[in-house]
Amino acid sequence: MYWYKCWSELRARVLLGIAAMAAACICIVYYQHPMRFQSDEPVTYATYIWKAVYNSFGRDLFVILTIVLASGGLMQERALKTVGFTLALPVSRRRAIAVRAAVGYLGVQAMALTPAIVVPLMSPYVGMQYAGAQAMKFSLLFACTGAAIYGVAYLTSYFMEGEYLAMLVTVPALMVYAALLQLPWLNRAPMLDIFHVMNGEDMPFFNETQHLITGRLPWLTLAVMLCVAGCLVLAACRRMDEKDL
Amino acid sequence: MIPERIIHTSDLTKDYGSFRAVDQLNCRVRAERITGFLGRNGAGKSSTIKMLLGMIRPTSGSGTVLGYRIDDPKQSIEIRRRIAYVGEDKGLYGYMTVAELIRFTRSFYNDWQPDIERRLLDEYRLPPGRKVKALSKGMRTKLALLLALARRPALLILDEPTEGLDPVSIEQLLQTLVCAPSNGTSVFFSSHQLSEVERIADDILMIDRGVAVLDMSLEQIRENYRRISLGFSTPAPVLESICGIETMRRDGRQITILASSNAESIAQLGRERGAVDINVSPVNLREIFLETVQDDTKREQQEQHHVLV
Repeated sequence: MYWYKCWSELRARVLLGIAAMAAACICIVYYQHPMRFQSDEPVTYATYIWKAVYNSFGRDLFVILTIVLASGGLMQERALKTVGFTLALPVSRRRAIAVRAAVGYLGVQAMALTPAIVVPLMSPYVGMQYAGAQAMKFSLLFACTGAAIYGVAYLTSYFMEGEYLAMLVTVPALMVYAALLQLPWLNRAPMLDIFHVMNGEDMPFFNETQHLITGRLPWLTLAVMLCVAGCLVLAACRRMDEKDL
Repeated sequence: MIPERIIHTSDLTKDYGSFRAVDQLNCRVRAERITGFLGRNGAGKSSTIKMLLGMIRPTSGSGTVLGYRIDDPKQSIEIRRRIAYVGEDKGLYGYMTVAELIRFTRSFYNDWQPDIERRLLDEYRLPPGRKVKALSKGMRTKLALLLALARRPALLILDEPTEGLDPVSIEQLLQTLVCAPSNGTSVFFSSHQLSEVERIADDILMIDRGVAVLDMSLEQIRENYRRISLGFSTPAPVLESICGIETMRRDGRQITILASSNAESIAQLGRERGAVDINVSPVNLREIFLETVQDDTKREQQEQHHVLV
């Protein structure tokens, strides 16, 4: 039943996150015509969707919502004075942390899946088509790279007591990470750039002209992302093992 | 099988940085008894309880609850499965309704008693559909108590359980606690309401600055503790400390002694030293508490004063 507590805590954030992603996708699809033709060089619908959903607004929104979803946990419960009740339950700290991480990550997956449902379904209403398989591939990239971002934010939330402090630290940390990626010697390892793996930019599996995923997905990189996320959750468990609450 | 000593600590110590909250605490809490855990604010009561529940780790020393080691994470889960606890904060999940929280808590325990749950819901007048965050402090305390009392735990640990309760609910709670040992539940509770403790407790464990200063049954306390007033016709002499004298205060022609035993011998000593008026009277828990912790505080202040001088 511990999952029920985690779901109760995260339910509002997950549903709002899905709603926000869905609303963003609906707006992007709905305003496709003026947006695509306002520039000097009109872009294809696939390019427009990639730029709006997977490369700018949609991606940034997903990253922020992922960080929001990762915040909380035992440290925040301490601030809210509910940690005594939680720790008095016959549940190990590790299990409590792992279950919350799993429930939160399911929320991340749901948010990642939202564009894959909304964009193909909404496109016919504006006279366009967007392949469901293509959208699913991007969602898979979002879900796996999102796991790593989620892991970082999750671990951070086990170092910070305030509810929003972890978010305030993780967002600038990701900005610093993005800035570091511009360093020439890091530029040589494109798979280290989570944001590019997320949307395929500069990746061998991505067709830069069509803005579609045409090659084999980077399964190894995605698996590494999931492993990194797992290790970060494990680090959170280790941190809380020794912590007085 | 429940051990005879349900709580046993040996040199249990907890430091927060340079501050020592619990200092080599040795105590033994007997099964199927009600034990009042007393001490001033910051005396180390909550830290001790948190160590017993595995929420904080002892700096040194060891302890067992129901025979399980408190410093072993796996055994700590067994402790928490077998006990019920109400913390001082009474912090409950505000986003759940009363019914949801009961359903959630019930799922962790096999010894849940639906009939007690229904009775307490009715007695405490808790609205099942209301969110916990919308409850008053007193109602939250009642809900926390319901979650602990609607079971048949081997041990009930309560940290300031009557805080925020109305007099009727306090009375109901005290009645429930009094009946608990006959159902096989031992009670270990901390409180600042000494009259309540004196009313229901079988044993008293008093700590001050993390050290146990009193650990005996209330019956023994009533039998042995005495206040001895010695009146002299001249300024009171300095009496040597003999066995049983806990505190001694000299004020002009009067000496007031709090004795934990040996009252007759102490009175005889006073008589031998010229006391003309000797009065031996029983003392209540409140007086013992105040004498014990106030005296320690005064002694500490005097020591600090000497250091400064």
